[in-house]
Amino acid sequence: MADSLANRVAVRDRTVVAPATPVRARRSRARLVPLLYTAPALLFYAAFVIAPWLHSLWISFWDWNGIGVATWAGLDNYREILADPALRLSLVHAFGLILFYSVIPICFGLVLAALVANVPWKGMPFVRTVIFLPQILPLVAVGSVWKLFFDDDGPFNALLRAVGLSDFTRAWLGDFTWAYPAVGVVGTWVSTGLCFLLLYSGIGKIDPALYEAARLDGARAIHEFWHVTVPGLRRELSVAATVTVIAALASFDVVYVMTGGGPGESTMVPGVAIYRLTFTAGQVGTACALAVVLSLLTCAVMFALNRLTREKP
Amino acid sequence: MKSMTSVKSALSAAAVLLALGACAPGSSSGDEPAADANAPVQTGVPSGQVELNLIATPESGAAMKDIIPAFQTKHPNVKIKYVDTTYDDYNKSLNLALSSDTSPDIVLLNAVGTTVKDQLILNLQPYAKAYGWESAYPAGQLNQWRVATDGTTLGSGDLYAAPASFSQVGLYFNKAKLKKLGIAAAPATIEELEAALAKAKASGETPLQLGNKEGHASFPIQLIGQSTDGPAAYAKWVFGEGGATFDTAGNTKGAQSITDWGTKGYYSKDANGIDLQGAVDKFTKGDGVFFVDGSWDSKKIGDALKGDAGFVPFPGPKATAIGTSVAYGISRKSKNAQAAAAFLDFLRGPEAAKASFAQGFLPSDTSTVTAEPGTISADLIAAWNKVNADDGLIGFNNNATATMNDTLVAETQKLIAGKVAPATFIRAVQSDWARTHG
Repeated sequence: MADSLANRVAVRDRTVVAPATPVRARRSRARLVPLLYTAPALLFYAAFVIAPWLHSLWISFWDWNGIGVATWAGLDNYREILADPALRLSLVHAFGLILFYSVIPICFGLVLAALVANVPWKGMPFVRTVIFLPQILPLVAVGSVWKLFFDDDGPFNALLRAVGLSDFTRAWLGDFTWAYPAVGVVGTWVSTGLCFLLLYSGIGKIDPALYEAARLDGARAIHEFWHVTVPGLRRELSVAATVTVIAALASFDVVYVMTGGGPGESTMVPGVAIYRLTFTAGQVGTACALAVVLSLLTCAVMFALNRLTREKP
Repeated sequence: MKSMTSVKSALSAAAVLLALGACAPGSSSGDEPAADANAPVQTGVPSGQVELNLIATPESGAAMKDIIPAFQTKHPNVKIKYVDTTYDDYNKSLNLALSSDTSPDIVLLNAVGTTVKDQLILNLQPYAKAYGWESAYPAGQLNQWRVATDGTTLGSGDLYAAPASFSQVGLYFNKAKLKKLGIAAAPATIEELEAALAKAKASGETPLQLGNKEGHASFPIQLIGQSTDGPAAYAKWVFGEGGATFDTAGNTKGAQSITDWGTKGYYSKDANGIDLQGAVDKFTKGDGVFFVDGSWDSKKIGDALKGDAGFVPFPGPKATAIGTSVAYGISRKSKNAQAAAAFLDFLRGPEAAKASFAQGFLPSDTSTVTAEPGTISADLIAAWNKVNADDGLIGFNNNATATMNDTLVAETQKLIAGKVAPATFIRAVQSDWARTHG
């Protein structure tokens, strides 16, 4: 990116300034200047993101328990991931969480924002704060509270009993069918506020003239929503999707605290599997391989998402 | 241009990789010579000021707040600093702590793990000889901390940790409820236990309190397994001896019984969502006639149920228990190994025994502690003596490999939810074992 920026600057320079010095020298100097500006950020990014990632990649080719001597493993760790049904399943679970972390919250947020945006409301700052609150809470605390909520003696079962549904009560997080959706609901709870706020502020930026024009053409509220609001929020939708999809694929805290991946492997996600492989199993190489696979898959999804939401030229 | 930059960035990435890869991960450590097991060592505390750091978990280390002052009174030139961390975090950070430059001197060992293989803890064989530990403890109590030269096979070889006190897993029962069911004494055979469970179910009680969120259904499975197969044969698998298998008549019976008990409604259908402390709470509130758990919870259960709390070894032809010692090892990096060893020796003395027993842990020699008859403490001592008379103490299946605890949690959850048959359960457990010992 820095490179293409440098190119652009170079091109502009050439057209404006007379070539007093040889073009090649000017060009390379001009290329260095923007690099210099981005250097501090680039340096930190390289030191704390790129280098550790490369280090993980390197470790993923070794058989290493984190302490002792490592032996070269080549691609064995990657083969192990593909061969282990539990680890494969964890990747499937991570992608399934996109439904709870991204799809549902964006739908909720969109509808909420569209509804609220049309009604000027005094209590809005308060409502906004309340809806956004889950986003600023530490996820470990969030997980702990929801764990109590779904406990066999917890409030959720008490609620069911109160409305005469005591046949449906169970230890939700210990149930093979319900543990996964129960964990997913927490993701929805956390993400909805963010999506709502992003989309709400986006709606404010849509040109009111568009709505007026739509109304003149006889569009009803639902048409306005589909043909003006949604296309007008393309950018915000893209940001919301990016942030929440990454949160879904990288989920760890909530699952670790609530179920630890259980019962069985029914809520196992890559984050928890990587943690266990590293700290319990002492298979740091396999853990890094899984982390590399997860990060590549995440990048692929981001790439696809960017393609999908990019504005047509 | 574009292809040039991508070539360049690929090259620089490769350069970084090479720089990182100049040495294999972790290769810089572990090149010190192995300790000579026959080298002579000094006993007693050296003169001069000595500071020792000791790390443990809150449960196992509870007695330390009494033991350490007692030791320091005896040896005023030694200062011991105690730090505890919760069980989960402790196990995950122990190896890193031991390999760091600020390694503690004395560490609680919940399992041998890779501490011996990675040369993190000191071979205590010389001290065992010098202090006479081998004649002071029954062989079975030290075997769990003997490690063969391969670094993974347990039960034989040199000693790497010294036991301070012991825990045992057995059968708690509610005396009042048993009496109400018209059962005179705690069951002595599996058949008697099953008859009592059936009777309890028929009269509307919860026959067995069970929490399996953390995999504690593996306790009854192991207890049925080891009392059926016999302790000596069963221990081979736990120790990781080559050729051992989990696929035994006893384990099959254990897995089948737990499945059947679930079908018959002997324990809560929500067991997979209840953790151990949750199960203890329920049992102390009268939910459950029987409860399989360790002596570490005896204080809590005794305080709540008072005279109604009872404890016996799990019923079977021989008195067996799952148990391990609260054992301490010395870091290879400790500069005060001699003083640390003197402290380990102090742990088997009468002062330490009393302090440990007050926290629900049993001393090797029960003559140093007393308990009022009719209390849970008296039951614990009686059970402990029976188990030792039958040489029936066997380590936790959960410690057979580094990942066995996670495997047992996931697989018992599937088993009691009816997702897998006993045979599938046994295959899954054995395949974990075979990855390390096979």
